[in-house]
Amino acid sequence: MKKLSYKEKFIQMNREARIICIITAIIIIFWWLMAFGINQDITFFSLPVWFIGACIGTYLLTVILIIFAVKKFFVDFDLDDEITKRTDD
Amino acid sequence: MTDFTRLLPSALFFLCLLLLGFYLKKQDAQKRQSNFSKEYFIGGRSLNGFVLAMTLVATYGSVSSFVGGPGVAWQKGFAWVLFASVQIIAAYLILGIFGKKMAVIARKIDAITIIDLIRFRYKSNILANLCALVLLVFFTTQMIAQFIGGAQIFAAVTGMSYTTGLLFFAIVVIIYTTIGGFRTVAITDTVCAIMMLLGMFFLAFAILQQGGGLQNIMHSLQAVSHVPNNIDLLSPTASGSVPIPLLMSQWILCGIGTIALPQSAVRCISYKDTQSVHRAMIIGTIVCGAMMVGMPLLGVLARGVITVPLAQLGGNTDKIMPMLIANYMNPWLAGITIIGPLAATMSTISSLLIAGSSAIVKDIYLFYNKNANNVENQKTLSYISTTITALMGIITVIMALHPPDIIVWINLFAFGGLETAFFWILLLGFFWHRANSHGAVLSLVGGLAAYCLCTAYGLKISSFHNIVIGIGSGAVFFIIGSIWGKAPDEKIKRIFFPERY
Repeated sequence: MKKLSYKEKFIQMNREARIICIITAIIIIFWWLMAFGINQDITFFSLPVWFIGACIGTYLLTVILIIFAVKKFFVDFDLDDEITKRTDD
Repeated sequence: MTDFTRLLPSALFFLCLLLLGFYLKKQDAQKRQSNFSKEYFIGGRSLNGFVLAMTLVATYGSVSSFVGGPGVAWQKGFAWVLFASVQIIAAYLILGIFGKKMAVIARKIDAITIIDLIRFRYKSNILANLCALVLLVFFTTQMIAQFIGGAQIFAAVTGMSYTTGLLFFAIVVIIYTTIGGFRTVAITDTVCAIMMLLGMFFLAFAILQQGGGLQNIMHSLQAVSHVPNNIDLLSPTASGSVPIPLLMSQWILCGIGTIALPQSAVRCISYKDTQSVHRAMIIGTIVCGAMMVGMPLLGVLARGVITVPLAQLGGNTDKIMPMLIANYMNPWLAGITIIGPLAATMSTISSLLIAGSSAIVKDIYLFYNKNANNVENQKTLSYISTTITALMGIITVIMALHPPDIIVWINLFAFGGLETAFFWILLLGFFWHRANSHGAVLSLVGGLAAYCLCTAYGLKISSFHNIVIGIGSGAVFFIIGSIWGKAPDEKIKRIFFPERY
């Protein structure tokens, strides 16, 4: 667990929110590409490939991206603000 | 005809939920004496990662994910799976954007409801009261829709009458929510989510078996699609009946907009620590995605099992899933599987009920009667809170006794209304330092009016869902109001935007 001041926590939280926005943008683009960028007649195990890409593919991509983001960019800190209370106010 | 074997598993499940409620209440009794509302309405901020993930998914996954949605997928094919699959992002998005910020600020200002946070951020009682009103109206409609949906499927599968079925499971959910409070809701939600997954698993098994395997099912789907004038089940737009603008709006309605649902957002202030929220993002995404893609996919594959034309089902796709469970599964498996949609219904209702009750008790009653929160008045407060929760539940059940049609659309109306009302208030409130009460009130009233009027009068921009109008006009109103009005004062900015100092 990292020791952050009240202000530092907000800088970190804004950074995490930005990363979530980027990930979401990637997911949305991937979904549209898979759904409409693939010839509709191609099938795999008689399931349409666009479906495998857009639904199952997006699902797997989302899980992988979130695990990656959480492990790499998200920081553990104390949600309570007892240490910095006196200095901040 | 009431079939005992089909009823027994749900009866046991109900009993288990009730026992959980009583047990958890007893466990919390000590803590409730010192700060009742914090324990009762957000479970004393104690949820761990697994429970947080499961309660979020179970609250979000409703009877439409289990009955309405898969039914439409049966009719429209893979396009409907695509349509539903945007909900993959629903679990991590709200936790990733608001999760920590709400938790940190709520602890700092001792907020226990979303409206507490809104009231503090915007320093406006009018706004807080409006929010409470919107929340109560839409929560009630959503609860009614859930009660109806749950009772219909229960009646269809067990052979009970609609009314008996409704009373049977409604009483259970009202009792455990009323006595147990938020922590019980979260933990029963977890049990519900597990039963939903289990139900989905059994359904998949039954469909693949009855349809003669995936290859066979896909062959019959292809055959149906090739008949002239039929919907092409294998196309991503269902032969144009799921148009691109609708898919785009779906990304707002069931994707990005879900961050504004107050019943989900309140979970952001109820968990224990940062490890919990991190773990919940991962587990939540895995479970939510599996359910939101899995259920409609099963609906599509069910087309290989239930092959009669829709007209023979009275034109109602809501009958597909109950029919599948009742007619194509062995009675014991059917009995366990029916718990899935019931669990989806109950977990949504319990969360709406406790959040709705918190709006009345905490945001209205306690705000205007500040002494009622004193240590010596905690007993009375507990009395009032449980009474209000119970009353709210009973009133919605009574309304559900004479039900109107189509679950999916009533539910989506309330859903879009809540998103329109809360989207910018929450997002800009936490991320834009200029956001003020003028903007918030204007966006809530204006956006909601635009959304409701357009929906009521059937006005549409091409085939976009009206949520686009609601959220779009809400944004314009919000920005105009905020620039026109005074910026929030220093004290609020130091709490909500310390990074600027």
